[in-house]
Amino acid sequence: MNARNKRLPEGGRIDRSHSIEFSFDGKGLAGYRGDTLASALLANGVTLVGRSFKYHRPRGILSAGPEEPNALVTLGTGGRREPNLPATMLELGDGMAAESQNRWPSLAFDVQSANGLFAPFLSAGFYYKTFMGPTRRSWKIYEHFIRRAAGLGRAGTEPDPDRYEVRHAFADVAIIGAGPAGLSAARAAAAAGARVVLIEQDFLLGGQLLAEQSDGVAASWLGQVEAELESFETVTLMKRTSAFGIYDGNVIGLIEQRNQDRPPYSGQARQIVTMLRARSVVFATGAIERPMVFPNNDLPGVMLASAARIYLNRFAVLPGRKVIVATTNDGAWRTAFDLAEAGAEVTISDRRTTIPPALAVEATRLGVAVRTATRILDLRGGHCVKRATLKGPDGRFEAACDLVCVSGGWSPTVHLASHLGVKPRYREDIGGFVPGAFPANQFGAGAMMGLHATADANEDGHRAGIEAASFCGKSAPVPAPSKLDLGETVTTPFREVPCAQGGKAFVDFQMDVTTKDIELAHREGYESIEHLKRYTTLGMGTDQGKTSNFPGLSAMAALRGATIPETGTTTFRPPFTPVAIGALAGRATGHHFKPFRRTPMHDWHLANGAEMLDVGLWMRPWFYRRSGADVNEAYVAEMRHVRQAAGLMDISTLGKIDVQGPDAATFLDRIYANGFAKLKVGRARYGVMLRDDGIVFDDGTTTRLAESRFFMTTSTARAADVLSRLEFLLDTAWPELRVSVSSVSDEWAAMSIAGPEARAILAAAFPSLDVSNEALPHMGSYEGEWRGRALRILRLSYSGERAYEIYVGATAGEQLWSCLLEAGGPLELKPYGIEALGALRVEKGHVAGPEIDGRTTLDDLGLGRMVGKRSGFVGDVLRRRPALLAHDRQRLVGLECMEDGKRLRGGSVLFRPGEKATGHGWGRVTSVTFSPERDRYIGLALLAGDLATEGSEVVAVYPMKAETVRARVVSPIFLDPQGERLRG
Amino acid sequence: MASSDFTLSVADCPLIQVEGWDGTLSQFESSLSASLGAKLPASVGETVRHQSLLVIRIAPRRLWLALDDGTRAPTLAIDPDLGCSVCLGEGRVRFGLAGLDISSVLSTCMAVDWHAPAAAPGRAVQTSFHHVPVLLLRTGETACDLIVPRTFSRSLHDWITDHQASTENSLNHAGGNTRIG
Repeated sequence: MNARNKRLPEGGRIDRSHSIEFSFDGKGLAGYRGDTLASALLANGVTLVGRSFKYHRPRGILSAGPEEPNALVTLGTGGRREPNLPATMLELGDGMAAESQNRWPSLAFDVQSANGLFAPFLSAGFYYKTFMGPTRRSWKIYEHFIRRAAGLGRAGTEPDPDRYEVRHAFADVAIIGAGPAGLSAARAAAAAGARVVLIEQDFLLGGQLLAEQSDGVAASWLGQVEAELESFETVTLMKRTSAFGIYDGNVIGLIEQRNQDRPPYSGQARQIVTMLRARSVVFATGAIERPMVFPNNDLPGVMLASAARIYLNRFAVLPGRKVIVATTNDGAWRTAFDLAEAGAEVTISDRRTTIPPALAVEATRLGVAVRTATRILDLRGGHCVKRATLKGPDGRFEAACDLVCVSGGWSPTVHLASHLGVKPRYREDIGGFVPGAFPANQFGAGAMMGLHATADANEDGHRAGIEAASFCGKSAPVPAPSKLDLGETVTTPFREVPCAQGGKAFVDFQMDVTTKDIELAHREGYESIEHLKRYTTLGMGTDQGKTSNFPGLSAMAALRGATIPETGTTTFRPPFTPVAIGALAGRATGHHFKPFRRTPMHDWHLANGAEMLDVGLWMRPWFYRRSGADVNEAYVAEMRHVRQAAGLMDISTLGKIDVQGPDAATFLDRIYANGFAKLKVGRARYGVMLRDDGIVFDDGTTTRLAESRFFMTTSTARAADVLSRLEFLLDTAWPELRVSVSSVSDEWAAMSIAGPEARAILAAAFPSLDVSNEALPHMGSYEGEWRGRALRILRLSYSGERAYEIYVGATAGEQLWSCLLEAGGPLELKPYGIEALGALRVEKGHVAGPEIDGRTTLDDLGLGRMVGKRSGFVGDVLRRRPALLAHDRQRLVGLECMEDGKRLRGGSVLFRPGEKATGHGWGRVTSVTFSPERDRYIGLALLAGDLATEGSEVVAVYPMKAETVRARVVSPIFLDPQGERLRG
Repeated sequence: MASSDFTLSVADCPLIQVEGWDGTLSQFESSLSASLGAKLPASVGETVRHQSLLVIRIAPRRLWLALDDGTRAPTLAIDPDLGCSVCLGEGRVRFGLAGLDISSVLSTCMAVDWHAPAAAPGRAVQTSFHHVPVLLLRTGETACDLIVPRTFSRSLHDWITDHQASTENSLNHAGGNTRIG
């Protein structure tokens, strides 16, 4: 081993027979199977691995787990480029090419490290305070440069070629964490008869046991338990899998990493998100060691004591030869002893005055220098720590070093356990937060519950496993756990309070938050821990402050003169670890981004030149290419044709609801604002539903098929909402009503013939049917059969023309559609699309989604007369609120474009002529179309005040295109106001 | 590759929904049972097969009568004071899925525990498939039917056929986790 090569000649859990080539910033390096990228970098003597977020300070590897704030790298190129990956979590793979981040031109020489010179100006709140002027728009200019200067890695912009997977899984007992507690819990739960899933973020099981020597008692215990677990058919071991969130119903979000470093095999998923539903959960998530806060504590070569022990014992890497171990607790002494045994020169600097005698004896045996009541005052070095200034009972002294191991105590990993609202509880005896009271189906075990001795964790895991299995009704006899005692001493730790000191003392390494930033936040009144977080960005990095939360709140508590429990913690929310968007999407990309809904006539539309349009989940014919070269030409031609001859429209997308029962009429009387109880059998009626607050919810037509049976249609967009609303009201408001509501939207193919020739076409298509005005009047209906399938014909008009809606069993839809076209051929029947349909309804002044927009009332839409003096329907009470009855509310009007060669646009804001076009104006244009009838653009609008009087003139402003056009206010019914066409 | 025994078939799904009113439910059920000549499933998710008819209780007061494709619907005369019926057969399609990998295939699209008693052979589970409500009928150890809305059926069929082939490859390659059920 030389200065660059820090790999020990033997030991560790690496496979020395399998060498792996990889690169870091283009430089070729070598490691072994079983390495992480971090361990391989350390083994190659690479201590400088990144630059800090704000000051671009040199940073090294701090930890050996997902809490890593410094060693973030980018992997891959092109579409596979993925930034901000902690090197500590990357399993080394052949050909892995990692890049450091946030530096230019190189990691060793980063121009932006000059930011450090401006540090006094870059304190918390710097951006908020500095970039406020001179005008409000100035931020838009600053933002560009600030965003370029700040940030971590940059994601690729090319499409990701890899595949991701989302799947569902189930278990009796899910155990998160495969350290001693988790392993013991898994074994107990499985022995009790439970179906167990054991989740481990690492590619090896063992947790902190992997920090023990690979040939010792811990390794032996681990091997035995792992073999036992693998022998259970009912146990699933999920390695390389992180639990990122806990959700209602014990649903656990898991992200499994596969092939992180290289292109996957054909068809394989690169990452898999599993939504695991478990009847009970055991949290065995361990604890995260805290760094210590002192000036220049971020220099490369400063490492968590537990991490140094992992690199030494698991990866056979000796990360330093002259080591200072700075600690507040017993745990770090084991690191010191192992480093000393591996040949390092070690000095322990312990903040405590009294040390357990066993530790002192062992230190003497191994030649470890011990300094009690001693702390680090400062560190010096460039790309690696070189000297430390310490202060003890005998005063200040200096020591040369190339590694500083720090341990400020342990924070139980309570994040996941808190996701469902379990409030962490502070325990003075361990100086950390543990979960509060769990719900009955969740359990905690081991270090996350404050039990830091391995023997205790083992016993506790066993107990938790039995209890979790018992919750699931699995109570087979469970053998006693195998003993595991590593002889640790655990005493009450010394709690050091971070305070502002001479140099930069970092609390949050990733977000470059120092003790001075916390002091500033306190001085400026941001005392709440939640305010502190947002003002300083403490804990807001990709590591979510796993190492910084406790030191940060501890510092604020001291500044406020408050206790830790009084200061509290921030709220832990998912995700615990970053999750790629691609993994969350899984297979729902491209063609499968959403499910498509096709009408029974879909194939006919495609075969006959329809240009299709996604309308929500539906695919609908937008227009037919035979009608025109583009949509604008086609829809006007289709409109003209409907007005002059006849058109056939696929309306299968309408919501259709079967309403049955002795109380069905009463029910409809309550859910519609206008009455339905007196509707005669065989007749249809237009109806409007209100929300509870009196705002219009949806409209549609309901037909009375029999005394106790109705056929309701809703708008396409609101079909599901209306059904859900009806079911809700029947279940909660009126359970006494004997009514059944069922969606029959998929049951019926629906089509509408509209136009002057509609009746003649209907007669031709159904020769035995009496289609006379007397037999089938406007709002009349017919029920029968067509070729053995159920048939319904309703005479309703949306276009203003004589029209018939024809419903037939879905399997016969295309057949009837073709039959109608054939029968109507001699009368020029042609299909038309939804662009023309929308335009026809605007001419007729029918309101639709753009007008029923969740803000309008019946009176706003000119429908108030339908209700009259009725009462007792949903929304009746709150629609009478003064604000909804105010005379100055916007109400529905028609608009007619007054300028030749110009057009109206939906969304335009309406102003008085000559008025400055700023603000919200007097109203807005909701729907527009070119009207062949008027030979100009017309529209519907919601308009307030005296402007809403017919004959008024308004200016419609469309800021997106800087268009302004004059329009005249007219009746919203542009066509046949007496309804002669549709009734004739 | 996925095992080659996986099959997916599509058929029409003659279906009648019947529902009884609260308060007269027992009378309704007696009457229905007599009409069908079969006992009714007692709890939600239970099914009872009677010749070519499968009776499924999908809600406490609601049952689906699913007929084998091509069979004639029974004549039901339901007293309106006891309950009602509505045909749903035109609007549903039945997918038949079978194969050793079926649980892996389904795990990528729906949250149904293949090993739970609630999804045991002979049981029915209402669930969602790519956000679409479907009914899963467990027809065997390695087989099930999905009753899906007709308007979504092609999209869901495409989902299964496009992705089934790669499922086993994705989930069970070397180095992956095992035994997720």
